Amino acid sequence: MAYRQWEIMERASTGAFMEEKDFLNKRITSKMRAVIKEYGVKFDPAHPVPTDDAMADAVWQAAWDFFRDVGVYNQDTHRVIEFSEEEMREALYCAPSSYTVGLGKDSRVFGHRTVEDPRPPFVIFSPDITYHEADFFQACVAYLKEPLLDAICSPLLEDFQGRAIQSKTPFEIGGSMEHAMHLRSAARLMGVPGICMIAVGTAETDVAQLSVSQPDWGIRPSDGRLVSSITEMMTNNAMLNKGAHYQMYGSFSGNLTGTIYGAYAGGAEGTAIMQAAYHLMGLLLYGCNFQQNFPFHLKHGSNTGREMLWVVSMYSQAVSRNTHLVQDSNGFANAGPGTDMLFYEAAAHSIASTVSGANLWETAPARNKHANHGTPLEARLAAEVGHAVARQGMTRAQADEVVNLLLAKYEAHIPDAPLGQTFQELYDVAKAVPKTEYLDLYYRAKEDIAALGVEFLY
Amino acid sequence: METIKQLKDAMVEGDDARCAELAREIVAAGADLRAVIAELAAEMEEVGRRFEEMEIFLPEVLLSADAMTAIMAVFTPELSRDTAVATKGTVVVGTARGDMHQIGKDLVALFLQIAGFEVVDLGTDVDALDFIHEAERANADVIGISSLMTTTMPGATEVVTLLKDKGVRDRFKVVVGGAPTSQEWADKIGADGWAEESGGAIDVIKELISGRD
Repeated sequence: MAYRQWEIMERASTGAFMEEKDFLNKRITSKMRAVIKEYGVKFDPAHPVPTDDAMADAVWQAAWDFFRDVGVYNQDTHRVIEFSEEEMREALYCAPSSYTVGLGKDSRVFGHRTVEDPRPPFVIFSPDITYHEADFFQACVAYLKEPLLDAICSPLLEDFQGRAIQSKTPFEIGGSMEHAMHLRSAARLMGVPGICMIAVGTAETDVAQLSVSQPDWGIRPSDGRLVSSITEMMTNNAMLNKGAHYQMYGSFSGNLTGTIYGAYAGGAEGTAIMQAAYHLMGLLLYGCNFQQNFPFHLKHGSNTGREMLWVVSMYSQAVSRNTHLVQDSNGFANAGPGTDMLFYEAAAHSIASTVSGANLWETAPARNKHANHGTPLEARLAAEVGHAVARQGMTRAQADEVVNLLLAKYEAHIPDAPLGQTFQELYDVAKAVPKTEYLDLYYRAKEDIAALGVEFLY
Repeated sequence: METIKQLKDAMVEGDDARCAELAREIVAAGADLRAVIAELAAEMEEVGRRFEEMEIFLPEVLLSADAMTAIMAVFTPELSRDTAVATKGTVVVGTARGDMHQIGKDLVALFLQIAGFEVVDLGTDVDALDFIHEAERANADVIGISSLMTTTMPGATEVVTLLKDKGVRDRFKVVVGGAPTSQEWADKIGADGWAEESGGAIDVIKELISGRD
């Protein structure tokens, strides 16, 4: 059972009353400023992959104090759900350090990783973007063909029965069920019927999520589910519904959170601390089994810039060094598919995450906002880089050098990153394989990355 | 006047207690409050520019905005009816039905307030008809709708459709925005303005309202 689930849920209606604006504009911002100052957390732009253990521990302590003193705001009841120091310690102590997800021969161990861990990361493949209904099935097939895939969070459906899916309508229910059915069928056809699906992203609402909890054609207890927060440190009853349902249905649940750099958390320091604090929120509020991290830049909507890679590396190290929680790191790139820039961004994110103790969730291209702009190939490259740097024993200091070299290739182009091409333009959709020219680009990028010091395994 | 410079500095630093103290000194000295407010507004525009460039972050902007509020709390009772600072317009903002992503909407609301607009913030996951009812109640000039997901973009379309069905489409300008939206989509649904990001939304709203005068 999730940690003290019902006692904590009760606080959603019995916690201290507070106006939402006061929670965001005063409680969060003032506490964040205080912990940054108290623990001396400081962003160093010269080192996107920091090697300072003391700083990583300071980030964790700051996150601990921040979460304990701030709590989580419920928008529906206007009350703050708070947790005691004892509860935080107890929940952390009791949390497992790994889970076996998926079924049978397709099951995998999704576990905690240490900083500079020689074990390869668990890799979740996902474009994190909507696809048109006509090509959705083949897009799922293309992702499921990837050899390094440990779990899949497939594309989302843009439309259902020829109509745009609208949240909170029957079309969302229909689209969510179609999503689950197609993904399940595609997995069977690709010979991985038991693979862990983290699904379904098309289901935004609690009702839609409940509609796909069906072991025959939909989502099984052996699969993963996501519940999120509202920026920042806020929830609502619909999210609490999802959290409770996942626990009782038995799925592995992940806390889907992306601290926004530049917003309520402030700059890189606050973003790293907030993202670390979300691990505690997921564990205590929703009983989550893993943390799905995607901090992103307010202006660019990505996390592959210098300041964002520092954030990714720093909170990952903080959590890895101070807990045994399971975490993954979701890459959000600026460039779109079919560009060398996207491959470099995916590699940089993968390296910074892997050496810092994170698992991988790759890759959301084109600032995560253009339909059909995502392919399995950039995720494949990120996964291969992750496996390579773990197996070769790359240190953070070495990673820092390689990431700086990668940044030199694309950093200046972040504001005007190329949109790239669609899945349909880059793949033979009927066969669900990359076109020759696209593969050539991938191989060239791989050679470039290898020349920087990544020892690919094949 | 040295006190005005100190006031501007204290506002940028977000020291609202110091701001209130300096504002009272300025009132006691008999300064032209409208001129002082114009200088403060220019300073806040600079705060907005620095935020747009990510030289500073939202917490600093919020502190400055709070400090500005503290100053206005001192100045406003001193302004006679004919010298009161007129609002630049009223804007109703919210996120489309089903959409819980609030940061873009929050930024638009904040910077509209800083720029001198009246803002009615309906929050997130707003029913289409609620946008219209609140706009009617506030006699708003603009309805601003944010969608961060393709599945909530139809919620913005619904607002435009209901405005037409109620026969009040011409009463309000509609501005839509959010990461997955586009000018092409805004044109298609019959919105008056579109912006991908919060900074652009302020400019679009200013332009639409000035075009009405």
